[in-house]
Amino acid sequence: MAKILIIDDDETIHLICRAYLTKSGHIIEEAYDGPEGLVKAEAFQPDLLLLDINMPRMSGFDVAKKLKENPATKNIPIFMMTSLKQEANIQRGYGLGIEEYITKPANVEHLKLRIEKFLQSRK
Amino acid sequence: MLEILTQSPHFYDYVTAAVLLLGVFNVAEVLFLLWNKARVERSEVKRQNLKRLASTALITATDPAELLPRPIKEEEFAAYSEAIASVLDSFEGEIAVKAVKLISDLGIDDHYRRLARHRVWYKRGNAIDILSSFRLKSNREFFLAVFRSEPALDVRYRIIYGLSRLAREHADIRALARLLSGLPYLTAKYTEDIFYNIITSLKASGSEAEFGIFMREIMHDKTVLNLVKRDCITACYAAGCERGRGLLREYYAAFPGEPEILISAVKALARVGDFSVTAEALKNPDWRVRLAALKHAHLCCMDMLPEIRAMLNDPSYHVRLNAALALAKGDNKCRVALREAAAGPDAFAASAAAYALTQEAA
Repeated sequence: MAKILIIDDDETIHLICRAYLTKSGHIIEEAYDGPEGLVKAEAFQPDLLLLDINMPRMSGFDVAKKLKENPATKNIPIFMMTSLKQEANIQRGYGLGIEEYITKPANVEHLKLRIEKFLQSRK
Repeated sequence: MLEILTQSPHFYDYVTAAVLLLGVFNVAEVLFLLWNKARVERSEVKRQNLKRLASTALITATDPAELLPRPIKEEEFAAYSEAIASVLDSFEGEIAVKAVKLISDLGIDDHYRRLARHRVWYKRGNAIDILSSFRLKSNREFFLAVFRSEPALDVRYRIIYGLSRLAREHADIRALARLLSGLPYLTAKYTEDIFYNIITSLKASGSEAEFGIFMREIMHDKTVLNLVKRDCITACYAAGCERGRGLLREYYAAFPGEPEILISAVKALARVGDFSVTAEALKNPDWRVRLAALKHAHLCCMDMLPEIRAMLNDPSYHVRLNAALALAKGDNKCRVALREAAAGPDAFAASAAAYALTQEAA
């Protein structure tokens, strides 16, 4: 059982990810934009963070940058999940120190397996 | 008239009546605005609830259509469509299959197909946008049929956009190019988006090579605007066409007098790590091409130090500045050259070099 924070402005993504991940026994916390996500990441200290890029108020890249700059959140693993498939964005994401860059559309079952495998490897 | 009114014994009665009427009108206006605000908020809450319901049904039910009330009002169709489009954009697999089935089970596609023939053009455009977001292959023929009878240019552009998300094979690209060439050139961004959609659709179906064949076909086709060829290359840049290096080099060689194409080719090649044309582009007579090459010069061309150093005296401000920035990113020899230029007699070069040195220090 792990703590997972989802930061995405689309409620449908929250509903689906929450449904699939809570089935595996994970505890889910949710944020709908970058600033809210930053606050919750510090307070909730998740074992994994699922982060969208295109969001209002603050982009996912900026959120990842701020998380990695903050000593309290710099060790939280980040999975970026986005429809931006361009190589430059992928490189930018990994350059910020994220663990995985997942492009949409993603298979939700595969996503769950990747998360499980990653969390297992961290134990 | 005014005189009659002011001299009337009932003048103050008229004024009082006018003020009262104005007051009543203002109160009515405020009440209407409050009622409308409440109506919009109620509608938004209903829309969000329906979206949530649709998403939940897609997750939990084997046949989501059985759980969901059939949409009747426009806002209900819109809510379901948003939820379905969001699922299709983000997920594939079983949940996406259920979402696609829901479109026909709830009659959403029929509804928007009807709206796509509405007499008001923006309603038709909106219906086309929604149908496009579903990316249903079955809509291809429908889009083509609507395109043939559609009088509004704005809607026709949207249909082409929708079709570009459905491209699967070579014939689709040719058909789209034909439709596009029949309309006035809109914007570089629009055309680039169309080709970007085509490339990503082809990549998804494993037929990326088809786009290369198409680009080779149009390379010397005089009926295709050079602007469109440029946008194809820019789309390659955005989509990262790793396998198109050879073709991009051919474009660079085939259009020596077309700076727009040269710039796009230099950028697209650099994007996939190919700097074979950058050195040549640094000497191009058009300053925009030199500028595009300079952006990547530090990655490939620092053995051209004298040439880049000479560009600090270029007539174009942008070239001078970027030459200085390229030198600042180079090795020690480059930075020595930059410091010399900063202390040199040419005020323009000195200013660019000084700026680059401060940027480097920062």
